Formats: sequence, structure tokens, C-alpha cells
Amino acid sequence: MKLQDVDVAVIGGGPAGIAAAIKARETGAQNVVILERAEKMGGLLYQCIHNGFGLFYFNEDLTGPEYAHRFVEKAMDTGVKGLPETMVTGISPERQITAVSKGEGYLSFRPASIVLAMGCREKSRGALGIPGTRPAGIFTAGTAQRFVNVEGFIPGKRIVILGSGDIGMIMARRLTLEGAEVAAVVEMLPYIGGLIRNEVQCLHDFDIPLLLEHTITRIHGEQRIEAVTVARVDDSKRPIAGTERRIECDTLLLSAGLIPENELSLMAGVELDAATGGPTVDETRQTSISGIFAGGNVVHVHDLVDNVSWESELAGESAARSAMGGKGAQGKIKLKAGRNIRYIVPQTISGQNKVTLYMRVNDMEEGVRLKIGNIMSKGLRVVKPSEMLKVELAPEQLEKLKEGTSEIIVDCERRERK
Amino acid sequence: MSELKTEVLIIGGGVLGTAVARELSRYKVDATLIEKEVDFGWGSTKANMCIVCQGADHQEFSKEYHPSPLVWQSMPLMEPMCQELEAPFNRVGELALFFNNSGKEKYEKMMARAESRGITTHQLLDRDSLRRLEPNITREATGALYDPGIAVTDPVRLTIALAENARQNGVNVITGTEVQDIKASAGGFEVKTSQGNISCEFVVNAAGMAVDKVAALVNADDFVVFPIRGYVAILDKKVSDLVSHEVHASPEAPGESNIITPTVYGNLFIGTPMKLARRGDDATNREMAEVALRNARRLIPDISEKDIINSFAGFLMFRNWELGWHECIVNTSSTVPRFVNVSIGFPGVSAAPATAREVVKLLSREGLKLRENPGFNPYRKAITDFTNLTDEEKRKLIASDSRYGHVVCRCETVTEGEIVEAIKQGAATLDGVKFRTRAGMGRCQSGFCSSRVTGILARELGIPEEEITKKGGESRQLLYKSKELIGGRE
Ligand SMILES: Cc1cc2nc3c(=O)[nH]c(=O)nc-3n(C[C@H](O)[C@H](O)[C@H](O)COP(=O)(O)OP(=O)(O)OC[C@H]3O[C@@H](n4cnc5c(N)ncnc54)[C@H](O)[C@@H]3O)c2cc1C
Repeated sequence: MKLQDVDVAVIGGGPAGIAAAIKARETGAQNVVILERAEKMGGLLYQCIHNGFGLFYFNEDLTGPEYAHRFVEKAMDTGVKGLPETMVTGISPERQITAVSKGEGYLSFRPASIVLAMGCREKSRGALGIPGTRPAGIFTAGTAQRFVNVEGFIPGKRIVILGSGDIGMIMARRLTLEGAEVAAVVEMLPYIGGLIRNEVQCLHDFDIPLLLEHTITRIHGEQRIEAVTVARVDDSKRPIAGTERRIECDTLLLSAGLIPENELSLMAGVELDAATGGPTVDETRQTSISGIFAGGNVVHVHDLVDNVSWESELAGESAARSAMGGKGAQGKIKLKAGRNIRYIVPQTISGQNKVTLYMRVNDMEEGVRLKIGNIMSKGLRVVKPSEMLKVELAPEQLEKLKEGTSEIIVDCERRERK
Repeated sequence: MSELKTEVLIIGGGVLGTAVARELSRYKVDATLIEKEVDFGWGSTKANMCIVCQGADHQEFSKEYHPSPLVWQSMPLMEPMCQELEAPFNRVGELALFFNNSGKEKYEKMMARAESRGITTHQLLDRDSLRRLEPNITREATGALYDPGIAVTDPVRLTIALAENARQNGVNVITGTEVQDIKASAGGFEVKTSQGNISCEFVVNAAGMAVDKVAALVNADDFVVFPIRGYVAILDKKVSDLVSHEVHASPEAPGESNIITPTVYGNLFIGTPMKLARRGDDATNREMAEVALRNARRLIPDISEKDIINSFAGFLMFRNWELGWHECIVNTSSTVPRFVNVSIGFPGVSAAPATAREVVKLLSREGLKLRENPGFNPYRKAITDFTNLTDEEKRKLIASDSRYGHVVCRCETVTEGEIVEAIKQGAATLDGVKFRTRAGMGRCQSGFCSSRVTGILARELGIPEEEITKKGGESRQLLYKSKELIGGRE
């Protein structure tokens, strides 16, 4: 395949990119290529050696590498071309891609359509603004995971983890099994940031102390980290004076938030949604620039890879249709976040086709009712920012939309007690 | 090194020590530079706003201690020096904002002062012209003093370049070696270091934060310095459009200086709240971060906390904190002959070229014979900077060496080829690679590349990955191998 003839170019070879590429081929696109900066396809799944993947997509409990492997095999079978160790350095609004590649040299080409699937990155110490000295021994949880599971090293033996994201909790268990002691998982919010199943299986089952409503106010140690000071926080998340205490440690892991990686999207002029940090997309996952689509964590951070795969298949299918000359979604109805809704993806729908909405709330609440304008309403026992809400709108429901509707407000209302 | 004899010993491999070393290498002098850290420029030089000031408009508080002449004499030397050494230098220009008439009058006086020193490029801008230059600047500003001469550099890369060029021209350059004691002897000095003894005839003490401590070893401390801690936050490149000049305004409160400046790499820096602090305690804290952000927003209201990707604190040594900014020592000790103390709290980077010349003059006055070094070569080649190559150059380079097609640091687009060059140049730690190539300096702050850089360092240096450190000493990154803690071996 010559790069000049590429129909669909997928940026990023993680679960999102692979799923998009396979679907693009299956939809009929001839030449589909994945550009991946790492040594091999599969993205972060290869370092996630724990299980819990594919429960929904495959109805099976798989490890990360197993889940990835199934997709990688399928990509090969369907004739997707993968270019590993290839870093895309630029995308223009006209879809011109430039990349540097260990195997292929310097590349510049213009595919018929593009799928953005760059995933997300972890917040660094600098971005979190943790005060203190700057010693060795501070890692994001994902970096530590790579060291432990791929490279065969244990960063230290007394660990503090800031943030209760999923990777952090999984690393708490992993490092405990490796013989390290996890002194504390420190979370600013009154509840954990990841999935309940990880709180139970990774923290409670291993008696790992969880400090809710706490933060780290200082890092100590000149050359290697020696300790952290933790303090309780008040309602506005500021440390409360007098509640500080010192916890000795030789390693600090950070698992306090993921940021969709959209530097390339910005170069291409793609419009971003401030709430998700990702591109605004329509129900076909087309971005604000025609011919550029996006799927997976680059659009919004998912809690489950299964959803990443589904969403990206949609992006891959649409990219293939667009490459083959098809028309995109017609008509744009905006979905607007109302009470206690942080974001909704997709940001616009056509109102013509059945569509799945993904949403997150701002705050934890019990006894609520989710209302999608006046077309759907659903009672929920509890909602949490860490658990994504997923709602399917069927054609019958969309028929209730009035002619000329331009906006639908989504609210998470308190339910009246009876 | 167990016993070493040298004519001139320079203590400290910051921007000033290395500038002196390079200046001395223009002469046939047997000189040695020693630095306690495993690399150059890790003292004040690393924790810096990176601005090359003119100093021409500064008021002199006290003639004797004031570096202004060294600063304005340095300005014309700085750009050619950076060119010779292939160190970054970018003239961004400076805007000093004022908010009312009395502010304007103050700057008019400054302008007159600059003119009296032969610098006539300053301009007073009214609100509209200011806005045309910098549309994001606060609407409160009624105008600004514009100085097109101000530039930015990368002080650590400059320092590395100075050290390398000094070495090429014959200076004995030693890292990882600390001066522990100095005794005056008949012919000069007997210096005890962590790696052995050095006897020398002259000493240049450019020990930065330790300038007084090192001088005190031999009773050459005829001065007092106070450690002042400054704080700087780094903003993501994606907001680099906010401002293209270095912009500042008079501080609202003492020590609350507010500056925002572009860097040579596209990030913006904001800083620098300053406060007297315990020496060496360069930990950052919430208060500094809040002050810096608040003050920066007074200049550019759109700056957001979200755009901060990292921050750091560093030390400036001031002779007299109350007197203000510009305090320096570039003198032969009044108590110990042939012992020259060099310390500039601020702006030591800007003043480095003329300071180095001044130190050589002082040494010659103390009896050092200066015969020209006919072999002196002022040029030094920097390592490849992949991002700044043209497409065609990139294509060729990758075709000739595929390691340049392997991007290791995704945020700053640093290739394996550049990292290998940096290691060949002397980087032996993660920070050493970072300061030379920027691998790990981007928005993810090494989350992606640290394991890969560790691997390349281990391979190139021929040591196990567990021995790779962040910055030398006890700063190993990976303390154990898999299964080591549970008694097994892989
Ligand atoms: C926040 C901040 C912002 C600043 N902004 C600017 C700016 O924008 N422009 C500007 O021009 N200046 C600026 N400065 C000032 C500038 O950084 C300093 O003036 C300059 O770096 C001083 O250089 P130096 O070589 O004297 O010190 P250093 O860089 O500290 O070098 C001294 C060296 O001596 C070594 N050493 C110490 N003791 C021993 C020993 N016993 N044996 C061997 N080696 C030893 C140290 O390890 C160190 O490397 C800023 C400073 C700070 C803190």
C-alpha cells in the first residue's frame, strides 16, 4: 500500500485506534493504516496485566494483553496496515499528515479521512502543583505500571499513592503482591475516583489504607523522596491547617486524573469541548473538521475499554463512509449539559438515527432522575463522577422531538421523595 | 584524580564559573574547573527566568556592589557568544507596564538613564500601541516602556556549551567533585576535594549559593550574602500565543516581582515571588504558587492555573536584600591575595560575558601571566535539534541514521539519535539528558519517556537500568528488580 493511496489513517494504535481501523476495513475502505508511536500496537493494554477487560464486549473476563491481542490479530486478518515507532508530528486542517518513523523515515501524506485515537495521558506532578522538593521516586501510576509489568523493576518498597484513579488502585494491589508496602492511597474527594470494583478488589481486599478528603501538601527528600505531608481538606478542597501529618515513603505514585491528548487535534484546527478536553463530535464521531473523526479516550476519558472499542468502531465506520464519498450526519441538535451534568458525548445529534449518549455528572448524588429534554426520563439510585452514564435513544423516542429543535437540555434532577 | 597541580582553580560550574573558564582558555593558562554536581549548571543557573537583560536603565543603589555595568557591557557580547557556542538566543523585547502617570514618569527617567549609557532603542508606548503589540495584556495598563534589546536564552545549555568549549581549548573540567577545604600556602593554595587534593596558585570562587562558605574555608569571606528564594512556573506551549514579549510591572509588594516571559522553546514562564529563605531549601509551596499566578494575571488576565505544567524554586544570593535586586561580588578578596570571589545574585546569566573578562583582569592584576592561546577556537557544535530541522533535513537524517526516526519524548519530539548524542556529550543522568535535549520537559513531564530514556542511558553507558539516577548521588529511579522484595530472583 502506498501512503498516497490511504483512505483512512488512524492516529494511535491503542484499543481505540485498532477498533476504528478494523471497522473501517469492514465498512469497505481499501487502504487503512494505523500510525503508532510505541514499539508495538495495543497501547496501554499491554501493561495492564490484570483482568476485568472485555466483560461487556466479549462477555468474557480477559487481561489487558488478551483483550489487545484479539484486536491486533483481527486487524491483521482484515488487512489493516500498522506502522509502529511512527510519531505523527503534525496534521493540517486539510488533513495533511506529517510523521517521523524509525522504519519508514520522514512521512508526509494526505488520506481521505482521519481517525484521531491518541488516547489520554496522566496528570503529572507539575500539573497537579504538588509543592515540595524535586527528588527521584515520583511516577505517574501508568509509568510505574510499565516499569513493573513490562520492564521488570519495582520502583520502591514503601509507596504512597495520590489519587484513587483505577490505575493507581490497581498498582496498589500489584505492588503489594510484589512485596512493597502501600502506606496510603490519598484522595481529595469524599469518594474514590475509579470503579467500585477496584476499590473493593484492590484496596479493601489488601487492607490498604484509603485517606478520603486528604491531599499531599509537601514532598520531602533531596535526592530520593523520603516522605510526604498529608492533610485533610475542607469543602473547597483546601488543606486544613493543623491536620498535617508526615508519611514516610520512598516512592510516590500519581493517579489523579487523565487528560485527553489533543495537541494534534488543535494543530488540525479541531474544536475542543472544555468539559471533556476532547473534540466536540457528532453522532458519527466526526469532529468540527469534515473528514476528521475521533474515538476513545481522546474524545473523553472512559472507565471501560469495552466502551472505547464500541465508540471507536463508530468513528472508524464513519471515516470509511466519508472516504468512500458518503455524506455525514444531517442536521445538528445540540445536547446541553444541565443540572449536575458535566458533559455529554456526542455533543450534537441529528435526531434521525438511534444514538448512544455517554455522560458524566459533576457530583455524587442519590435518588436522581436523568432527563433528556422531554424525550426520555430515567430514575437512578446513585450517580458518581467516576461512573459514566450510558443511555440509548431509540428512533421512537427521537420521534418525539419537535420539528426544528435545535437544543436538548440534559438534567440530572433530584427525585421527589414519596 | 588523587593529586593535581594547576595554575588557576575555578570552583563552581554554573554560568559564571564556566564563563570564566572559557575566557581563561583564550590564554595559555593551566586552568581547572571543578563542579560538585555530576553536570554543569544545576545550581542557580538551572532555576532561572532565562532573560538576558540590558541593565542599562537600572538605577545604581550602591556603586561598589552593583552589577549594572557588567550587565550592559555583556549585552553586545552575549549574542555573538551564543552564536559561537550554538546556544539559544532569541531577542523577544521587553515591555515594562505602567498604570498611571507617576508610573510613566518613573519610566521616562529610566529611559533617560539608558540614553545616558548609550542605549537609545527604548520607546514609550501608549495604550493603543501596547495593545497592538500584545492584545492579551491587561486593560488596566496605560502604556509601557518598550526595550527591543531584551532577549531570552537557555542558561543550562549555555553553561554546558561554555564548559565544553573551555574543555576543547585546554581547561581541565571535572564534575562530581566538591571542594571541602582550602589552605593558603606559600605558593598559593592547597585544596582538599571529595576526590583528592589540588594545589593551585589562584582560586576563582564561583560557588554560587555556597560562595560565602567556600570563601570562609580560607578566611576570604569579606562579605555577607543572604539566600533569597525565587519561584517560577512553566506554562504549556499551547498558550504560548498569550504573549510574545517579556512583560513586567513594578511589584505590588516587596518581593512580589511579577514577570511573564516567553522562553526559547515556546513555553511561557511566570514568576518570581521572592523571599528570604533557609539556604538550599528549594521546595516550592502553595503560597508562592498563588502569588505567582495572581501577579501574572495582573499582567495577562487570561492565564490559568490549568496551563501550568511544572514549577521550581531557586536561590539568588544577595548582599543586601533591602537594597533591592542587583547585588554582586566580583572582587579579589581583601584578606587573601590571589583569591577572587564571583557571585551575582541577579542577573548572573546576563552579566556572564563581561564578568568573565573582569575576573581575568583581576587575576592578571594578582600576577597571573596572560599569554594568548593561539589555538583558541571559539566555536562549539551543539547536538542535533531535530524539531528545528527542515523537512528535507529530517528526511535525510533519518535515512542516514534511523535513530532520528525514533521519537522518544513525544511532547518535545526528541529522538533517540539526539539522546545518544547527549550521552556522548556527557549526560549520565535523566536530568542530564533532559537539560540537553528537553526529553521529559514537556507537558507530560516524562511520564511517557522516562522508562525509555532510562533504557537508552543504561545501554549507552553499559550499566544496569537500576543504576540510572535522576540527578546523581542517591537519586536512583528504580530501587529493586522484580521479585526481589518477595525473596525471589527473576
Ligand atoms: C528564580 C530566579 C530567576 C532568575 N532569573 C534570571 C534571569 O532571568 N536572568 C538572569 O540573568 N539571571 C537570573 N537569575 C539569576 C541567575 O540565575 C544567577 O545570577 C546565576 O545563575 C548565578 O550563576 P553562578 O554560576 O554564580 O551560580 P550557580 O549556577 O549556583 O553555580 C555555582 C556552582 O557551584 C557549585 N558548587 C558549590 N559549592 C561547591 C563546592 N564546594 N565545590 C565544587 N562546586 C561547588 C554548585 O554546584 C553550582 O553548580 C535568576 C535567579 C533565580 C533564582
